[in-house]
Amino acid sequence: MTPEELGKLAAKEQKARSACKHRVNVCCAAGCASMNSDKIKDDLQSAIKEKGIADQVQVRSVGCMGLCAAGPLVSIESEGKSVMYKGVTDGDVSEVVESLEGKPIERLNLPTDMPFFARQEKIVLENCGVIDPERIEDYIAVGGYAALIKALTEMTPAGVVGEITRSGLRGRGGAGYPTGLKWGTVAKSPAREGRKYIVCNADEGDPGAFMDRSVLESDPHRVLEGMAIAAYAVGATHGFLYVRAEYPLAIKRLKRAISQAQKIGVLGANILSTTFSFNLEIRLGAGAFVCGEETALIASIEGNRGQPRPRPPYPAEFGLWGCPTLINNVETFANIAPIVDRGFRWFASIGTDKSKGTKVFALAGKIENTGLVEVPMGIKLRDIIEDIGGGIPDGGKFKAVQTGGPSGGCIPKQYMDMPIDYESVKEAGSIMGSGGMIVMDESSSMVDVAKYFMEFCKSESCGKCVPCRVGTAQMYDLLEKIHKGEGASDDLAMLESLCELVSQTSLCGLGQTAPNPVLSTLRYFRHEYLELLRDGQKELAAAGADKGKDGAV
Amino acid sequence: MAWITKNSVAPIERRNEPYLSDELKRKLTDEVLTRYPTRRAATMPVLHALQEEHGWLPAQAIEEAAAFLEVSSAETMDTASFYEEYWLKPKGKYVIWVCQSLSCELLGHQRLIDALRNKLGIEVGETTPDGKFTLVTAECLGSCGSGPCALFNEKLHENLTVENLDRILDSLA
Repeated sequence: MTPEELGKLAAKEQKARSACKHRVNVCCAAGCASMNSDKIKDDLQSAIKEKGIADQVQVRSVGCMGLCAAGPLVSIESEGKSVMYKGVTDGDVSEVVESLEGKPIERLNLPTDMPFFARQEKIVLENCGVIDPERIEDYIAVGGYAALIKALTEMTPAGVVGEITRSGLRGRGGAGYPTGLKWGTVAKSPAREGRKYIVCNADEGDPGAFMDRSVLESDPHRVLEGMAIAAYAVGATHGFLYVRAEYPLAIKRLKRAISQAQKIGVLGANILSTTFSFNLEIRLGAGAFVCGEETALIASIEGNRGQPRPRPPYPAEFGLWGCPTLINNVETFANIAPIVDRGFRWFASIGTDKSKGTKVFALAGKIENTGLVEVPMGIKLRDIIEDIGGGIPDGGKFKAVQTGGPSGGCIPKQYMDMPIDYESVKEAGSIMGSGGMIVMDESSSMVDVAKYFMEFCKSESCGKCVPCRVGTAQMYDLLEKIHKGEGASDDLAMLESLCELVSQTSLCGLGQTAPNPVLSTLRYFRHEYLELLRDGQKELAAAGADKGKDGAV
Repeated sequence: MAWITKNSVAPIERRNEPYLSDELKRKLTDEVLTRYPTRRAATMPVLHALQEEHGWLPAQAIEEAAAFLEVSSAETMDTASFYEEYWLKPKGKYVIWVCQSLSCELLGHQRLIDALRNKLGIEVGETTPDGKFTLVTAECLGSCGSGPCALFNEKLHENLTVENLDRILDSLA
């Protein structure tokens, strides 16, 4: 297919879309699908057919609309107006069809001007819940693959790298490394035996984070397009998408997306009738969290145990089979097409000085509106928790939010007005991580949280280096001892010294950051540990009366 | 804990018919091997394909995979035993993966596990005697907004309660 033919296809799809009076979108992402939204979609379709208005109404299954807690969700767009319905069941189908020509159903109405929707700014998730993820035509109709055309026909590879560099995009997998810098390194590194690789890290495993799953399920072509642009920019011809085997729906949608993209010629040989070729394979993980670490991921693709190796050399210079390899996270790749399409200035105008663009967060735990939200960098934590998230349910009081999963920490309420960007979150003792936010209220025990994450790290440690393999097990035993009320202040001192040892001597990020949940809860909620110690009363008393239970240091 | 080694002295059970059939070999040669610069790189896809075909990975199948990949069987076993989702012993027709992530824990995943243990009469990691259900725990399944959740083979169920658990199990009976 040539760029012109692709343009014609987009125009044809847009025309078909606008010819319909009503567009009914049924969320069929994992959350709503588990509440049988597929059947609701089929029922809606047959009811519309029965009513004889099938030519005016288009019913589509679409990806995640974000507010998973209120599913199954159905949105209806009619001549510029849109309504959204929550908790739609089989029994509501005929009423929904009737309402197309009448008034919206009050009982099911979910106001789209509520802060959950209104305060979000969507780039990565802009197509999620809008297009059918199983139809490439839908993606093309909303401007999909236009950025790839622009890159291939109007820009040089170095020009693309420059655009990404100037946009200020930083890696969304957690560490926040400047994406353009990484691309530049791979572009400059000489290919080995003519080969360079692109890898998309979709081994999302942080407890509490599910944005990658949602993007892959709701807008898979966005990721493929980002990878193809990256391949052109750095000079790679092959790529791998490393996906967790625990995400069967995402895998199914990706496989379908890749075969559609090959069929119309936006992946494979001579893409869009140019000399550029890029082949993409899906690789399934098999339940090892450590494979999210880039050198372990490489070992896994090469057919070995997923164990990391020391860096440098970094994969950008020495990756898969010794070839320069670009590894980015799903959300990072999902940002690429809009940057190329709309230009770096647009992207750099969003966010803060050092953290540009938006970030997707997964709200979970003790919060009213659980689900996925995308907000500009620099937004206050309070705005996410109270406004967008709707606060704590059942009259509970906010205690802390856990960010960054097992590598992160707990941020207490005195940081509610802190802007959310890479640096501020780090200063508060946590990390941005992949974007999980598990909200805890006064009923949650911080020692429990620390113990939970230590158990996770202990069981996911690959066993290669001693500090992580033995250290996480020892720290877990100490936490268990303290948790049971059998610990003494010696144990707490031992725990603290182990934290330092493990973080400084472990081989990879898993071990280096494993102590973070303990350190951050000790920093803000030390009294919770002291209260559990056999001899903690003395230190508690010494800490003074002003050391209240609100987590003040 | 992938790094804990278990002493295995049991003799390998063998059968005459190969697990890695000629047909599967042809398919893997055409569709998988061509994509990689080394044969070893196909280890995980080959193991996934064998597991999909037979439900689990008997030792003989791992030996055959190693011969096909032109590496020693110890090396293929090394990779297979590292990853938790390769089944080195038979699993049930339905595998129930209960998510044990923090958000599911906060929302009461233990009640689900206990209900399943009672109902199926097995512990976590075990398979019912009739070979129907295997109960395991999984790390985050990515449904933190609507926990507790569990995968029943490839079907994800969210907002699980002890009551709707019964319904799901009955529908699989």
